[in-house]
Amino acid sequence: MNKPGRNATSAGDIAVKLSEVDKIFYQRQRSEKIQDVFKNLFRPNIREIRALQKVDLRIRRGEIVAYAGPNGAGKSTTVKLLSSVLAPTSGSVQCLGMNPMKDRVQYVKRIGVVFGQRTELWWDQPVAASFEWKRVVWEIPRARYDAMLGFVKDLLGIGEFFNSLARQLSLGQKMRADLALMLMHEPEILFLDEPTIGVDVLAKRNILDFIKNLNREKGVTVMITSHDMDELEQLAGRIVMIDKGRIAFDGDFRQLRRQFGDRRHLTIETASTSPPRISGVQFIGSKGNRHHFTFDAAQTPIPTLLAQVQTRIHDIETHRMPIDDVIADMYEHWDANREGVRE
Amino acid sequence: MNTLTKLIARWRVQAYLDFMWMTRDFRFFFINIVSDIILNLAGVAAVFLLAERFQGIGPWSRDQIVFLLGYAALVRGLLDMGFSYNVLHISRRIGRGQMDHLLVQPQPLWMGLLAEGFMPFSGSWSLIAGMGITAWAIHQLGMALTASWWLIFFCNLVASCAIVLAFSFAWGSLAFWAPVAAEEISSRAVNFMYQLKSFPLDGLSAFMLANMLTVLPVGFVAWYPCRQLLGIAPSHLWHTPLVAMVFSLIAWVAFKKGMQHYEQTGSQRYLGWGHRS
Repeated sequence: MNKPGRNATSAGDIAVKLSEVDKIFYQRQRSEKIQDVFKNLFRPNIREIRALQKVDLRIRRGEIVAYAGPNGAGKSTTVKLLSSVLAPTSGSVQCLGMNPMKDRVQYVKRIGVVFGQRTELWWDQPVAASFEWKRVVWEIPRARYDAMLGFVKDLLGIGEFFNSLARQLSLGQKMRADLALMLMHEPEILFLDEPTIGVDVLAKRNILDFIKNLNREKGVTVMITSHDMDELEQLAGRIVMIDKGRIAFDGDFRQLRRQFGDRRHLTIETASTSPPRISGVQFIGSKGNRHHFTFDAAQTPIPTLLAQVQTRIHDIETHRMPIDDVIADMYEHWDANREGVRE
Repeated sequence: MNTLTKLIARWRVQAYLDFMWMTRDFRFFFINIVSDIILNLAGVAAVFLLAERFQGIGPWSRDQIVFLLGYAALVRGLLDMGFSYNVLHISRRIGRGQMDHLLVQPQPLWMGLLAEGFMPFSGSWSLIAGMGITAWAIHQLGMALTASWWLIFFCNLVASCAIVLAFSFAWGSLAFWAPVAAEEISSRAVNFMYQLKSFPLDGLSAFMLANMLTVLPVGFVAWYPCRQLLGIAPSHLWHTPLVAMVFSLIAWVAFKKGMQHYEQTGSQRYLGWGHRS
């Protein structure tokens, strides 16, 4: 993991470089009409799906990058391009100075990949057996293997189920074992495609802490996709948002909030059950004498809002909207823009 | 490390995995052995009983038929031992999107495929049954076996295995284009070969025989090489290895084309079972 002398580039270099990358899939469209049987067979309509369009992306060594977007946005396609599973239709994919498709064997020795709903564990074997298999296939020298095994056992706590059969593990344990297995060859960059999908809150927190520690202590570059924006915000300094195959945002989470407004919740408790009239806010609803609003703090400062309240205030609460809500607004905004363009 | 050393290291770890799996509990181990042996004997029983009842089939004596059955069992045994975990049934791996697992391993694809299916313990009972049947037939036939005969025997045996494997890979490559529809095509192809491999094909029409030796090369799984090895037909012992080379080439081209397609399209489907369990 970024050991000196292991590669020719220094720690400040670019680890991932996608230039003008397009990925197009073709999908047969079949009509349900009986009279179209022969057409479906011999001349089906082919729909072109542009999974990635002119994607330019640079990731520096040692960065943690959250890669997010709605379903079908192109997240998994990008991870597959970077894992030497898929080739781009056009454009160039470079990672650690190599072409993932052309230099596959050498390249995959230096990366780690985890797909959330897949496992590299041998299902009917104790977890330990999968680690032995990994040592042989990745040709890890015994001393390095033993050292890494101690490290991942400590960090991920896999010792407690190391001798259990893989198929008997819980989802969280399985993911921890998969992450540990992925790290055994000391990859310089990790591609994690929804690594916390389906795991419980505690297991999720352990996995996120682990990724953060790994990045801090070993300088491992991480690219992680997830639908859970709060999780990504905890983990990553930078977020790249992709929508319909295009990069729609690239920056940090504060910039993201700013770009789409500083949306906040406001709860005011008054003596009355009817909500106070305030301009510059959106009324959500009332429960007794507690009234809920949302507003954009960048547009309307809180003192300006409170100055408008005519009744006596008993209590007031304000907090930032969860990043999930910000992103949901953003997806809605993108969809609305597309609809506008179509019309 | 050179390629052979790497391959041996991978086989060794697969053997370790297989041994651990087999010996997980003795009762399981015992049932596994007994059921495999019974299945193998049942697989050859019908043809053997016919040969016993009629004192042979066509130009084949009863003991020659037993040799044919032994040879066929050896082919199956070697394939079971070397290409489990759906390597032989490759269309399942392709159709279920499991090629991704192989692509993220730092080794050539062929090495992964050659190593991952190696099960020398749990997969060897057909082979042991085949060895027993063949040894008994050789003993009954009173054959004088020279070193060159053994060499030719092993060459033909490996060639027969290669033909079944190549036939499965050639058809299985269709799963690159039709993952759902062709997921089971390799199993169908292999089962077709296994079901017909033990029958002597003498007496078939020239058209049928030509098909059985070309388009559907089931004749080369046991019948053709055994005729040569036993001296029932004029000796053309290089035919089976030659056919194996041709089919291997076809399979290689089909699989390579399929992989090129897979690199462009990937798999829209993923199912996790079979390749590691």
